[in-house]
Amino acid sequence: MSAAPTVRLEGVGVTYGEGAAALRALAGVTLDIAAGEVTLLLGPSGSGKTTLLQVMGCLLRPTHGRVQLFGRALDGATPEALAALRLAHVGFVFQHYNLFPTLRAWENVAIALDLKGRTPPAQREEAMALLDRLGLGDRATHFPSELSGGQKQRVAIARALAGTPGLILADEPTAALDSRTGQGVVATLRELATREGCAVVIVSHDPRVEPFADRVLHLEDGRVLDDRRVRRDEAS
Amino acid sequence: MAGTPPRHPLHGTTLLAWRNLTHDRPRFVVTLIGVVFAVLLMGVELGLLVGFARTTSGIVDHSGADLWIVPAGTTNVDIAGRLDERRRFQALAVPGVAAVDPLMMQFGFWKKPDGGNESVALVGVDIASRRGGPWNLVEGRVEDLQQQDAVIIDRLYAAKLGVQRLGDTIEINAKRARVVGFTQGLRTFTQSPYVFMTHRNALAYSNYRPDQTTYLLVTLAPGADAEGVRRAIRERLVTVDVWHTAAFARQAQKYWLITTGAGSALLLSALLGLVVGVVIVGQTLYATTVDRLPEYATLRAIGAPAGYLNRVILKQAGISAALGFGVGTLAVYAVVAITAFGNVAVIMPAWLVLVLALLTVVMCAFGALISIRRLVRIDPTSVFA
Ligand SMILES: Nc1ncnc2c1ncn2[C@@H]1O[C@H](COP(=O)(O)OP(=O)(O)OP(=O)(O)O)[C@@H](O)[C@H]1O
Ligand SMILES: [Mg+2]
Repeated sequence: MSAAPTVRLEGVGVTYGEGAAALRALAGVTLDIAAGEVTLLLGPSGSGKTTLLQVMGCLLRPTHGRVQLFGRALDGATPEALAALRLAHVGFVFQHYNLFPTLRAWENVAIALDLKGRTPPAQREEAMALLDRLGLGDRATHFPSELSGGQKQRVAIARALAGTPGLILADEPTAALDSRTGQGVVATLRELATREGCAVVIVSHDPRVEPFADRVLHLEDGRVLDDRRVRRDEAS
Repeated sequence: MAGTPPRHPLHGTTLLAWRNLTHDRPRFVVTLIGVVFAVLLMGVELGLLVGFARTTSGIVDHSGADLWIVPAGTTNVDIAGRLDERRRFQALAVPGVAAVDPLMMQFGFWKKPDGGNESVALVGVDIASRRGGPWNLVEGRVEDLQQQDAVIIDRLYAAKLGVQRLGDTIEINAKRARVVGFTQGLRTFTQSPYVFMTHRNALAYSNYRPDQTTYLLVTLAPGADAEGVRRAIRERLVTVDVWHTAAFARQAQKYWLITTGAGSALLLSALLGLVVGVVIVGQTLYATTVDRLPEYATLRAIGAPAGYLNRVILKQAGISAALGFGVGTLAVYAVVAITAFGNVAVIMPAWLVLVLALLTVVMCAFGALISIRRLVRIDPTSVFA
């Protein structure tokens, strides 16, 4: 492989707390995440999935090991430097959407573009294009409270896609959705990885997500138990 | 493309700030009322301070003189000892002095037509130079003062002095006097209204000897060095104080506002307004911030720099400040308009409006501080909870 992987973790460990109260959430995780691939992160509750996602997304500095994002080592980066990296490279999709309730759908997307320095007219135009692409063109002026769960999650995906980041991290994006809607959301993420070539990591308990993944990582007690490539079922 | 969103002027942090404020209208209204109230309180107290200050030095400010020769130890224009007339000729002999005019200030008793008594301040003016007033005449003419028993008073005190119109007669120190003119807005801090008359008449109404006066007002020759002349007069006349007009005005203001405690009381109330404003703005802004913590955490998680979050808070404070200041200033001007016809004036010069604006900004910035401090500790990983 010539290009650096999107994310490279080497011996990553995360321990919460200190002394007797210390809790090891991740231990010795070494793996690469490649562009254009959808990785499904599985594991029982408390196994460290969210923690791992936070490390990959530059939200959490690991207590051990090294992290590289697009070949750049994150050792010693300040909180502000990490925020800048997240802004430039990472799109987040949350279980509870985390939309801004006082902003209309398109404004939610526009804020992410504002953060990336787009002018107000460019914000409007790109936000509308993204919502169109997610099939929400006619819901652009709705407030989140006026949208269904699936529509909200698609707005959140549009926001995560703003500025085309190289890495999309989704923590239980389908947990609050019915299975059909959830499947639609995952299909959208799958399509993004294929079309835009971005790396997508999805944490999910939902077995229906698996057919969309290129790779399934199984975590248990903060360790990678199983890492397998899956043959994608194009039909579903 | 279906449903193009309507264009609106707000975006980014301004949009977030505006929506944060307007989403909870009752709280926004409380914030604005707080700012308006604080601006009104600060504006009225500071405006009163300016009004009082101008009242205490009105005669000095309007004298048109360059220097004031005053009995040694004089602290304000309303209360002073006496000067001998020979001082006038000594002063005239100092190079750089063009003219020296007497001005008499002396308390007296005013007997109203219905018999009641009021304390008044007699102001004896050299009629040729008119140094020392009166000014702002709305009825009558200054020349009319030359009649033997003529006096001019202010409209604001006409009722208090039992006078209604020109020609009304009263008694001053048991001698007949007649009102020949009215000024408008010449207030007195001592609550003894000024009664203007010629210096000659003033001597007759008072117990001054004919060769006495209270002040000597110096007009400098063109090009004369004011400070040099002031020192020269001081050296030659010895037992007098000599003030630049502006300095004497400031002295009179200091004297009354500090000795009576009026100044510190007003400043204290203004400070109170500031504190009330900071507390209300801080409190409501903080409540909004706490309500919106998950959104701030989300912003931080998706990569917003700390400054972006702070800008949202500061803009909320700024919008509250601007709206509150606008309404508050209007309210202050309403008070200014109302008090223009009362015997205490709230005065709002342009510089004071600027001071008020500055205080409002300071107030809202301080109010924003606790919210900003809270956001420093925000944990972006909390979005996954
Ligand atoms: N901020 C924190 N402070 C202390 N302990 C934490 C913190 N976050 C997570 N943990 C602990 O770390 C371990 C891993 O948590 P994590 O959230 O990564 O699990 P998870 O696999 O995402 O679980 P779930 O499927 O329930 O979301 C858990 O034991 C959890 O209690
Ligand atoms: Mg989790």
